[in-house]
Amino acid sequence: MSFLKIDNAVKRYGEAAVIHGVSLEAAAGEFVVFVGPSGCGKSTLLRMVAGLEDVSAGRVHIDGADVTDVPPADRNVAMVFQSYALYPHMSVRDNMAFGLKMIKTPKAEIERRVAEAAAILKLDPLLDRKPRALSGGQRQRVAIGRAIVRKPKLFLFDEPLSNLDAELRAEMRVEIATLHQRLGATMVYVTHDQVEAMTLADRIVVLRAGRIEQVGTPAELYDSPVNTFVAGFIGSPRMNFLSARVAAVEDRRVRLAHPALEGVALALRNGAIVQPGAEVTLGLRPEHLTLDAAGAPVSLSVTSEYAENLGGSSQLYARTADGTRVIVQAAGRHATTRGDALRLGARAEHAYLFDAQGRAL
Amino acid sequence: MNPRNLGKMLHLVGLLALLAFTLFPFYWMVSSSLKEQTDLLAAPPVWTFVPTLSHYAEIWQDDTVSKALLNSLIVAACTTTLAIALGAPAAYALARFDFRGKKDLWFWFISNRMISPIVLALPVYLMAQSAGLLDTHLVLILIYLSFCLPIVVWICTDQFRSIPPDLEQAARLDHANQWDIFWRIYLPLGLPGIAVSAIFSFIFSWNELLYALVLTRSDVQTAPVIATSYMSGYELPWGKIMATGTVIVLPVTVFALLVSRHMVRGLTMGATK
Repeated sequence: MSFLKIDNAVKRYGEAAVIHGVSLEAAAGEFVVFVGPSGCGKSTLLRMVAGLEDVSAGRVHIDGADVTDVPPADRNVAMVFQSYALYPHMSVRDNMAFGLKMIKTPKAEIERRVAEAAAILKLDPLLDRKPRALSGGQRQRVAIGRAIVRKPKLFLFDEPLSNLDAELRAEMRVEIATLHQRLGATMVYVTHDQVEAMTLADRIVVLRAGRIEQVGTPAELYDSPVNTFVAGFIGSPRMNFLSARVAAVEDRRVRLAHPALEGVALALRNGAIVQPGAEVTLGLRPEHLTLDAAGAPVSLSVTSEYAENLGGSSQLYARTADGTRVIVQAAGRHATTRGDALRLGARAEHAYLFDAQGRAL
Repeated sequence: MNPRNLGKMLHLVGLLALLAFTLFPFYWMVSSSLKEQTDLLAAPPVWTFVPTLSHYAEIWQDDTVSKALLNSLIVAACTTTLAIALGAPAAYALARFDFRGKKDLWFWFISNRMISPIVLALPVYLMAQSAGLLDTHLVLILIYLSFCLPIVVWICTDQFRSIPPDLEQAARLDHANQWDIFWRIYLPLGLPGIAVSAIFSFIFSWNELLYALVLTRSDVQTAPVIATSYMSGYELPWGKIMATGTVIVLPVTVFALLVSRHMVRGLTMGATK
């Protein structure tokens, strides 16, 4: 049975709808990540679950109860805000205890729970400090601690790591993943960072313009994106897209016409039907391209532009004859000269086909 | 001298000029309160003199000044307390809730300050007279409240608006009700703004002369009224007036110095993130 159920939820501000009938279910203990570009409605959707935004139409259920019209405090959810939203005039201890004090929890119980959360998050030495005396990472931990002490049914995270530097973000990501394993609680996490989504999520919900584009495990989204938006959003660097035309269709295999492209026919995946002459988009992930095309089922002719050396790997930027940029991520270091002609290789199962509307074929 | 140093020098000269301009009247009042009548009336003015405390002794001879100071304290303290107690919740509502007529209400608060106080003196006097409130603390408190409330609401609204709404939402999820949010979050965080508006209210009520003169007779005359009351007939006892003035100014100066840290924070609020 689903623990969190969003049923056809709509959010309107006046006439303008920002969430267009989203339906979603999450199982107990699941880590669900809402991901999408800014303005896609992911934070709004999270706030609708929290009760901080009214639901214009549709229902929200938590643990079997319809909470659509229940005030935020009575939904038994805890939220970690992007800005941390710590009370600046209270110590770390008081910040964590505030919610328990409000529901008149006995003092001894408050102390016990705060101590427990502080131990989990390694906040013991900081309990008497004010938030302004903490670093960004420590503040974030306090915000998480404030959520933990309440023992909520559902944890909500609204871009909690976006104010941290890259190193700290990676560190906190691991902490949150560990915390999820330890608590076994249901968590909904909003981010625009697909790396966070891929590493943390049991299931990812990709949103665009207030609609769900695809829901699936990180591997499903990576391996079988339903459209060019999801294919481009999941994976870093972004998937390369080449516009091509269908030259021939034989036995559910498509041969493409593109000046830079040579190779075998590509199999259609989803029982899709495509006619010769139709415009399609070929997607190739940078990490699936090799610099050696010898023996590769698909090969692509490009002209090198420049290379970024990342130490253990390199990112090469190149262009096809028709001017489409292609990025290659290759292991090791590669020195290329601008203008070098390269032949890139890929395996047939790593080539994605999309129709003119961007839907996977 | 390089342009940078020159700029600094000009800045310093400007500051000193401003300081002299603002402090000179204060200096003149205090020094005059310590001068004999002959030194006071000397032309050109004397800058060095033998100080005397005779004027201070004179004003404490009866209880007129101490009674007036007590009246001022009652009126200023009550006005300030009421202005904060009524103004801060109003400011919270204006800062955080949307309701019909909010903009008009907001404008009405400022527009009150556009009217010259003397225009209202006669109508207020007649109203106070018919209500039987003349020469009471209450009438002064009420009229000062009408001047101080807009300032309190104005400053506190601005202060409350600068508090991130996320805090309120976090508190709502933490089971805090509207009152808890105001009392435990907004009030402590809005303290700089509340302190500034309290200082303004207190100083205004403490110093106000026009309405105190119009609405009081004998029992509740405030300190500024007493200071001016010495100017009667053909006598101008400058020493006594200045000594009373110094005694009046001293408590508010101490008060302002005590809370100046909050005051600077309050006045520069919103300037930095």
